[in-house]
Amino acid sequence: MRNQDLTIDAGPFRVNVSTSDARFLDTLNDFYEHAIWREGPDVFDYGIRIFRPRNLRRWIRPQVLFEIDSRRPFEPHPLENAFPMFEWSLNWCIATSAHRYMMLHAGTVAFGDQALIMPGTPGSGKSTLSAALHLRGARLLSDEFGLVRPETGDLLPMPRGIPLKNASIEAILGFDPAAPLGPTYPKTRKGRVRHLRPDRESQIQQDVPAVPRWLVFPKYEAGAKETLRPLDKTEAFRQLAFNCFNYRLLGETSFRAVDQLIRQMDCYTLSFSNLERAVEQLSALASEPGPAAAGET
Amino acid sequence: MNLLNQVLRDPTIVRAWEAGDWNRFLPLARNARLLGRCLHLFEEHGLLDVVPQRLVDQFQGALAQTSYVQVQAKRELRQVQRVLDREGIALMALKGVAYLAAALPPRGWRNLSDIDLLVREADIERAEQALKQAGWGPSGEFDSYDQHYYREWMHEVPPLRHHSRETEVDMHHNLAPPVSRIRIDAEKLWQDAVMAPEEYGRQVAVLAPVDMLLHNAVHLFMNDELRGGLRDVVDFRDLFEHFAEGETNFEQHLLQRAEVLGCGRPLYYAATTARRLAGLDLSPDFIAAIQAHAPVYPAARLMNWLIEQALAPKRLGMWQTAVANQLLFIRSHWVRMPPGMLVRHLWHKTFKSKKPPTHDAEMPG
Repeated sequence: MRNQDLTIDAGPFRVNVSTSDARFLDTLNDFYEHAIWREGPDVFDYGIRIFRPRNLRRWIRPQVLFEIDSRRPFEPHPLENAFPMFEWSLNWCIATSAHRYMMLHAGTVAFGDQALIMPGTPGSGKSTLSAALHLRGARLLSDEFGLVRPETGDLLPMPRGIPLKNASIEAILGFDPAAPLGPTYPKTRKGRVRHLRPDRESQIQQDVPAVPRWLVFPKYEAGAKETLRPLDKTEAFRQLAFNCFNYRLLGETSFRAVDQLIRQMDCYTLSFSNLERAVEQLSALASEPGPAAAGET
Repeated sequence: MNLLNQVLRDPTIVRAWEAGDWNRFLPLARNARLLGRCLHLFEEHGLLDVVPQRLVDQFQGALAQTSYVQVQAKRELRQVQRVLDREGIALMALKGVAYLAAALPPRGWRNLSDIDLLVREADIERAEQALKQAGWGPSGEFDSYDQHYYREWMHEVPPLRHHSRETEVDMHHNLAPPVSRIRIDAEKLWQDAVMAPEEYGRQVAVLAPVDMLLHNAVHLFMNDELRGGLRDVVDFRDLFEHFAEGETNFEQHLLQRAEVLGCGRPLYYAATTARRLAGLDLSPDFIAAIQAHAPVYPAARLMNWLIEQALAPKRLGMWQTAVANQLLFIRSHWVRMPPGMLVRHLWHKTFKSKKPPTHDAEMPG
């Protein structure tokens, strides 16, 4: 196949992908149908090439490479993993260059224009929770990046396919057998991976920011009873700052931004073992009266 | 010449740019670590209204990163200074960290990953020991050959890094290796050194303006096979313009000093390159005078071609760039070492050195 170009919006970033891999291109088209930029030539943030290196491995266990600005920061991956590799590599591009934003390591969803932020280290269940909340109708902002515009405190969406890993795949299929999952990638560096496709609404509204309203630190724990426990704001500050990719780099900017976020959000922790009950608890937050009705006095 | 060079020469050309031009420009600027510099250039020329917002965001992201590493670099300098002051060892800041310390124009956008320092040759061993006792250690694995290479043949000790910090410390005792074609009398540099303004109660010495430019030239065209790339050329331009503004006869002064230190040839390369590829304005007199340091015509032609392929390729990833870099790499060794030593060095590097382990850059998620 000849090289083909596709321009996709990933939240505030416009990404041009050039590839000769038909299967990868199909997956991209399928996942980001409503995020493809079709209005002719435009300026983009990252020009990425996904291609097969010209060597012997072209025929025996073929490989695929990621290239940006003529640089190849990663070792080649097996050809069949082109899509997960692209997703990781794009995340890497953003995490290493988009310091115009404060980048929280968090799953983020929105109810209306109000956002729920769920920071967490890998294994905390933030991706699974984001996926489950999205399947129950919350707008997916991101399962990985909470992009905050520091001067306004707005949370910017960046809805990408959610990479569900290993047991999470079955957990989500058990939660919603009709979940729109992409192909299975049995052997990636993170184990077995399947992506959940963000819905049309989330993709179309990816240029609509949300207002951070709830902060919940999730923790998957076998046998835990699902309860939202209010979290002391000082502790919430410490933990949110810890879960910010570029907190140290942004210095005072991120200190002020985190401070502002903590002040305006209700902060909780959530231990959970059952996805259904966890989603119930989190959705209940959204049906409580808004901050205006609750009042300050 | 590529779009980045053209912008450096005349930023107003972006008024006529379309999306495709910006898309060719961004990878060049990002690769050359000149995003922050370009933002300043556009600002200076009142062009921000024609720069796509998407790119302004990219520029600002790069600048945020730059100001972080600048803070780290200045902190590292203060820490080293504290240790060396205690030992009574005189210290000079070089290159990027010197521009920061002396508040010179590159400070608004200059990225840096290590700090370069100068101490006297007689002090360098003591300085290294003092730093090692205070928590610094080798920044990588250096085998006995590498140790020998740095200590005996080069003008520096193997790079150091403090165990709890990220910034690398490169400690030199001269601006060029003692075995190279260019031999600089370091004592002359110390005599003319100037003190940077005080910060946090400390002052550090930096090279005199003319020496700073000559160091940039020597570093780029003698030591480092143009590895600093276009960024170092832009430093040369920015410093040159700044110093020339503050001192009448600066150009004359620079030429004289190049004679004294024996750096005419690198100055020729640096000045003509900054003029061609980074938009430096030179007086006709200076251009005429610098020709005295040009190599013979065919060599000058070849070097021009090499420099252009390395620093101004039409786009990234061209084979000419790879060829030019290889030839410049060979040349940098040629001018740096006598032939016998070079053969030994290449022999060792080809057959004896342990290859550094390759690993993926770290990924989030």
